[in-house]
Amino acid sequence: MRTVVSLTLIVIVAIGVIVSLSQVPVGAEAARQEGRLDQDGVNFGRYYNSRAVEETGATNVVASVVVSYRGLDTLGEVAVLFIAALGVVTLLGTKQERKAKREVEQASLIVFTGCRFLFPLILLFATYIFAHGHLTPGGGFQGGAVTASGFVLIYLGCRGRSVGPKQLSATESLSGLVFVMIGLVGLALGGSFLLNFLPRGTTYALFSAGVIPIIYVAIGLKVSSELGSIVGALAGEGE
Amino acid sequence: MSLMESYIHYLGSFGLILIGLYVVLVKSNLVKVIIGISLIDTGVNLFLISVGYIRMGTAPIFSRTAIAPEEMVDPVPQALVLTAIVIGVSVLGLALSVAIRLYGHYGTLDLRKIRDLKW
Amino acid sequence: MVSPIILIAVPLGLAFLTTLLGLLSEKLPKYVPAVAMAFNLVVSIRLLPRALQSPIVARTAGLSPPFSIHLVAGPLGMMLSVLISLVGLLIAIYAIGYMGKGPGSRYHALYLLLLAGATGVVLTGDLFNLFVFFEILCISSYALVGCRGDKPGIESAAKYLIQGAIGSSLALVGIGFLYGLFGTLSMADIASNIASVSPMAVFISMALLVTGFGVEGAIFPLNAWLPDAHSSAPSSISAILSGIAIKAGIYAVARIVFTVYGAEAILVFVAVVGLLTLLVGEMSAFSQSNIKRLLAYSSIGQVGLIVFALGLASVRGVEGALFLVVSHALAKALLFLSTGYMIYRAGSMEISSLHGMGRKMPVSSVCFTIAAFSLIGLPPFIGFPGKFMIISAALAKADTLFTVLIAIGLLGTVVEGAYFFRIVQGLYFKEAPEGAGTNPGEDVEAPLSALVPICVLAVAIVAVGVCPCVLTRYLGAAAADLLDKAAYIRHVLGV
Repeated sequence: MRTVVSLTLIVIVAIGVIVSLSQVPVGAEAARQEGRLDQDGVNFGRYYNSRAVEETGATNVVASVVVSYRGLDTLGEVAVLFIAALGVVTLLGTKQERKAKREVEQASLIVFTGCRFLFPLILLFATYIFAHGHLTPGGGFQGGAVTASGFVLIYLGCRGRSVGPKQLSATESLSGLVFVMIGLVGLALGGSFLLNFLPRGTTYALFSAGVIPIIYVAIGLKVSSELGSIVGALAGEGE
Repeated sequence: MSLMESYIHYLGSFGLILIGLYVVLVKSNLVKVIIGISLIDTGVNLFLISVGYIRMGTAPIFSRTAIAPEEMVDPVPQALVLTAIVIGVSVLGLALSVAIRLYGHYGTLDLRKIRDLKW
Repeated sequence: MVSPIILIAVPLGLAFLTTLLGLLSEKLPKYVPAVAMAFNLVVSIRLLPRALQSPIVARTAGLSPPFSIHLVAGPLGMMLSVLISLVGLLIAIYAIGYMGKGPGSRYHALYLLLLAGATGVVLTGDLFNLFVFFEILCISSYALVGCRGDKPGIESAAKYLIQGAIGSSLALVGIGFLYGLFGTLSMADIASNIASVSPMAVFISMALLVTGFGVEGAIFPLNAWLPDAHSSAPSSISAILSGIAIKAGIYAVARIVFTVYGAEAILVFVAVVGLLTLLVGEMSAFSQSNIKRLLAYSSIGQVGLIVFALGLASVRGVEGALFLVVSHALAKALLFLSTGYMIYRAGSMEISSLHGMGRKMPVSSVCFTIAAFSLIGLPPFIGFPGKFMIISAALAKADTLFTVLIAIGLLGTVVEGAYFFRIVQGLYFKEAPEGAGTNPGEDVEAPLSALVPICVLAVAIVAVGVCPCVLTRYLGAAAADLLDKAAYIRHVLGV
């Protein structure tokens, strides 16, 4: 009964979607074909692509959009991940509900050594990704996710070892505070939150684009510690 | 051919969303419902990215070889999708931990049996 | 010159600080949300006079409005921000004593983030930013509903989470659709260009957005999660959810329908849906025996009345809706807070176990009675002017449809009166049941940390009820902020 009703509903929605999509032009490609792309009221990224380098100094336009033009969204997103980490630890961490720790079977020597060898390389790669976020594809979130995959490797391969939950919690709080502080300093100095108050520098250099690399480092640390604590809580480590 | 070519991204993303919606509505195992939510999120993200796509466009990153800004795709949907993926992951993490605790309390993940709170 | 962005940035920063403090000390994190909300209250009140004259448009990153995120702190946004910080402050003080050792600093960080998200929702002027702050609000409420880890809490959190996640995805599809049509995300920019696309595109995106944001705003078919979630959460969380979170959802829907779309045509539909919500809520509440579930259904009913009043689309109607928003937030928060300790003393949430509390916990019972009478709409309390405004606005429309609808709405109020009188009668005139609750030796009044916010709320309800001019002075500008689309666009983009 429920299957039939749901299937009819979905078929109706699908037909509606196809009918409407064929009549309503949606997207940048459609706008380009209609010639609307260069009009004044329509944006579709033209403004950002042409002005981002001179306004923010970052050659990765997506990075300047994420941190500068829409920086408040990024702050909100970082807060959402913080909420998830807190929520997961709160829901899973109650001591009395947890069964006694099972005997942890050690992984074989090859797996163990391989994981130990790979882990610092993964961290190095992740650091490269978020340090160069303003120049090449990448950035804080991507680098943080790669670091978290390194943590998953440790939980899976080197069983019994874990990253300390208190250190992760401290890292995520501190880097969050750094992000908000940079924004407030921008507010105090220039009158608008998240103002890019450091000098632009020369393009294509590592230390360029004002506060963007600093914010990306803070985001990278925060995301890696948050994803690490989520994965750790789900894997059964607790306080 | 022209319709399919222009709209293949949109059709694909809506297909994913509808499949995810079907899973959420019909399946009774909580983990399958969570997978359905994840499918819906993936479909929505794909839809958002396709909105900014320009044919023969290239990534919005300036490098040493000169690229005209008109050839680049729109960077804003990519920033939106970054945020949306992170929000989706957060919801997924919370949902999985809720599922773990729910299993601990009820001993089953069948949503038809988890009905303590009735009218 | 203070920028409204600190109303969001400072609570976010302090929330990050709370977990850090939790690592260092056990006692400090409890006080951080109260401090943050006191700060917000002071700043909001200071910014309110300026916002009343003309909306403060705050940019971020030093770049100009349609291309960067901007906050639009108009009279409506500032008024709601004052309400959020006031109610948030009082509930934070209550939670200092109410939340025991269990969740610790994480509860307080999540609570502060919920309030920061709500403040962000009412202050922003950008569509995707609205979505992000809305998600902060929703996800922290999912975590807070389940934070005690007990069986009903986890079950409610699961249902709430699934429905909320689907709603958010739908809203995101709507936002993607709008971006695909217009190429911009600023609400003022979309509003000024809305006439240039076909009605079908407008309809699809509006349906998606209203459904997505309406899940949190508890509009009729989308509110299946609410009775479970609000009744199984800890009392302070029920209070903040019923008082503030639903209002933020309704604000998001109202801002989109009125300002971005300016759609007068669907407002009749909105009014009918609101009335349906009212009826469903009140009828369901009447048959409940669990006090918190009853209060949750009553919230649904009141939200239905607010949506109905918004659907009237006249200045008087919107003013009435806003007045009702304030009065319901205060009254419902007071109801949940006062029953919090009563439930703890009695050991159960059944109404029959609360009989006789009038003698054992006199202050809490008096405040409960004040809040209940205010919710029904009796004269010396704050509920009366609100309902009166809505009724006169509906009659002023001189349309038989609305007269019939408001008559049905009054029926809902009568039902509401019936069940609240039954509870109050039970509190004072019936004997406590045989067999003590789980805390037999403590038949005393609630501790001071709970009594202070309860009494402050009760005094506010009586004070504003006696002279509603305190509130109505600001309502005219706030209603105009919502209804006058052209003025909004002019303030953000024009000069």
